[in-house]
Amino acid sequence: MTQQIPLTWFLYFAAASFAIGLMGVLMRRNAIGVLMAIEIMLNAANVNFIAFWRYGTPSASEGPLTGVMMALFVVTIAAAEVAVGVGLILLCYRRWRSADVEEFDGLSG
Amino acid sequence: MPSGLSIQDFVIFSPVIVLTVWGLLSLIIDLTLLAGQDSTTRNRSLGMFTLSGLVASLVLCQYISYKYIGPSPGTDPLIFFGSLNGGVLFNQFASLVILFAVLITCLSMVWNFTSHWGEYYAMLVWSAVSMIILIAAEDLLTLFLALETMTICLYLMTAMEKSKQRSAEAGLKYFVYGSVSSALFLFGLSLIYGLTGSLSISEIGLVLSSTQQPGLTGNVVGAVAVLLILVGFGFKVSAVPFHQWAPDVYEGAPAPVSAWLASGSKLASLVAMVKVMGGGLGSWAATSTPTSPGWVGLLAMIAAATMTYGNFAALGQKNLKRLLAYSSIAHAGYMLVGVIAVGLSTEPEEAAAALFFYLVVYGLTTIAGFALAAWIDRDRGTEEVEDLNGLARRHPYVGVAVCILMLSMIGIPPTAGFFGKLYMFMEALNVGGPDKVTMMGLVALGLFNSVVSAFYYVRILKAMFFRDTQRAELKWMGPEIALPLGLGTVLTLFFGLNSSVLLTDMESVSRSGLHITRRNPDPLDYNKPAPRTTRPSQLKPPEPSKPAEAAKPSGTTKPSAAAKTSAVINAPAKAEGPGSAASAKP
Repeated sequence: MTQQIPLTWFLYFAAASFAIGLMGVLMRRNAIGVLMAIEIMLNAANVNFIAFWRYGTPSASEGPLTGVMMALFVVTIAAAEVAVGVGLILLCYRRWRSADVEEFDGLSG
Repeated sequence: MPSGLSIQDFVIFSPVIVLTVWGLLSLIIDLTLLAGQDSTTRNRSLGMFTLSGLVASLVLCQYISYKYIGPSPGTDPLIFFGSLNGGVLFNQFASLVILFAVLITCLSMVWNFTSHWGEYYAMLVWSAVSMIILIAAEDLLTLFLALETMTICLYLMTAMEKSKQRSAEAGLKYFVYGSVSSALFLFGLSLIYGLTGSLSISEIGLVLSSTQQPGLTGNVVGAVAVLLILVGFGFKVSAVPFHQWAPDVYEGAPAPVSAWLASGSKLASLVAMVKVMGGGLGSWAATSTPTSPGWVGLLAMIAAATMTYGNFAALGQKNLKRLLAYSSIAHAGYMLVGVIAVGLSTEPEEAAAALFFYLVVYGLTTIAGFALAAWIDRDRGTEEVEDLNGLARRHPYVGVAVCILMLSMIGIPPTAGFFGKLYMFMEALNVGGPDKVTMMGLVALGLFNSVVSAFYYVRILKAMFFRDTQRAELKWMGPEIALPLGLGTVLTLFFGLNSSVLLTDMESVSRSGLHITRRNPDPLDYNKPAPRTTRPSQLKPPEPSKPAEAAKPSGTTKPSAAAKTSAVINAPAKAEGPGSAASAKP
């Protein structure tokens, strides 16, 4: 028990991967790359949830598994989002013959 | 406290269960009974099928409200282990969302913009289901799940218009912006979970108000969490630094879907925002001393930017759907002022009721506006404002209806839009303490913006009444457009002339389980009750009987709700003084 990794390490890791994901969203031009970056952001939040669940003290009326349940549901949601996202990217690819987000600029003003 | 699971939970929840099953059935019917039929037949049959399910669910809602949802103050409105509200809040907003969905289904039957009708109607019904759950959620897990289910359905619906390239582009843009904002939102939720050890909204409110100083001074993690959560909600309600998706998506999506985004999605997100910001994070709202900031300052800047940008950007628009999108951004700005008022008010339920009043009226008028866009889209394939030229001369009734709608959007007296703005801004002005100056500034800016908004709303009227056109006449709109347009207009007028009906209803809604943290009006004296200058309802001529009695003979569809409000209003909120830090679950 004395050799436990401290909570802050997990939080630094989560914050770093969240920042990497955010940078990816802002800088990647390929739509699939943006999708991957979004996944990294969701998983960074998941790491946070698990770390807080393991190290934190749950409040009085809270069940013992809240953080884990949240992480499990977020994994499910992420999967659904990827399915929809890939579908939408394919739809756009068929029309533009490209997956570059900067080319989809028909709407503006 | 989570109580056990009982059959009654399922009974109260049954309208939502019916809707979920209905979505599955419409998929199955599309693949079996209607296989091989042409698009028009499938649209008609599945549309009527969806309508029947929605109406059945609406009737069920009213029956349950009459039979099960008691106004007695002692009953716990929470169902399913405390994860959902099952009281008046859930029931009334479920009815409202289903009513919006009925109007959207009507609009969807106007023309064939896609061939995947089974999927389209299933997504429509399921997004309505997740909007209802989002409104009822008492738990951040449920809330996040519902938010995601709702937006995932909406991404797909946006991209459904097969004949237009812009629809696919709008879908992808909405997807990218939306999922990034949900990721930011989720990270904010994880920090809140870390700080409080809980995901239940009322529990978070209790923990924060008992252990921490009011306001956010020196609380970096809390400030980051608030910022991320505000970004998430800001995207969903299209507030200004996060609004870029809205005009593109509203223009690119088929008109019924744009109407659904502007009404249902915005309604659900704003109610959830009130719950999270006012209930969970209420003790971070503002200040114990004039110098320490809370989320109110941030949200005030967002609100000011949102309404100003939305109105000024709308001035130059030529496309009707894009104009309505900017108008919807501007209205989001007004409504954020209402959210701030909820966070600061000594009587947050009243402030929330005023905000909900505005939301309902805004939803009805905006659906009617998009019905107009759907009409010209069907006959001409475009939806420019100049396509409306001369419409009022050929269809005078439509001219009158649109005139009433536009007056309501601007906020001119006989219509409900005026009373929405009046109640909300009066609640904003009732805020005391160090934030009073901010609120006065916001209200002044709001009034100035209403004047600016008149210019572009009147441009629509000018095109309809005073311009002539050489182009072919529009065909008769048919019942699918007449119902949303007509119902929106009639209700706008009705709630304008009888605004107390809707206001008492919304008060009973907001008293049922918003769990909003109450503010101390004066941080130095915790026991002094809040002095309250004017209630907005006192501005009206006094009514001879109670508002609930006055509501009865006017023939609303909710006699049970009207009868209950009088009991609800007298019961719970008076029991606890404004000094208690949080209204916890019993």
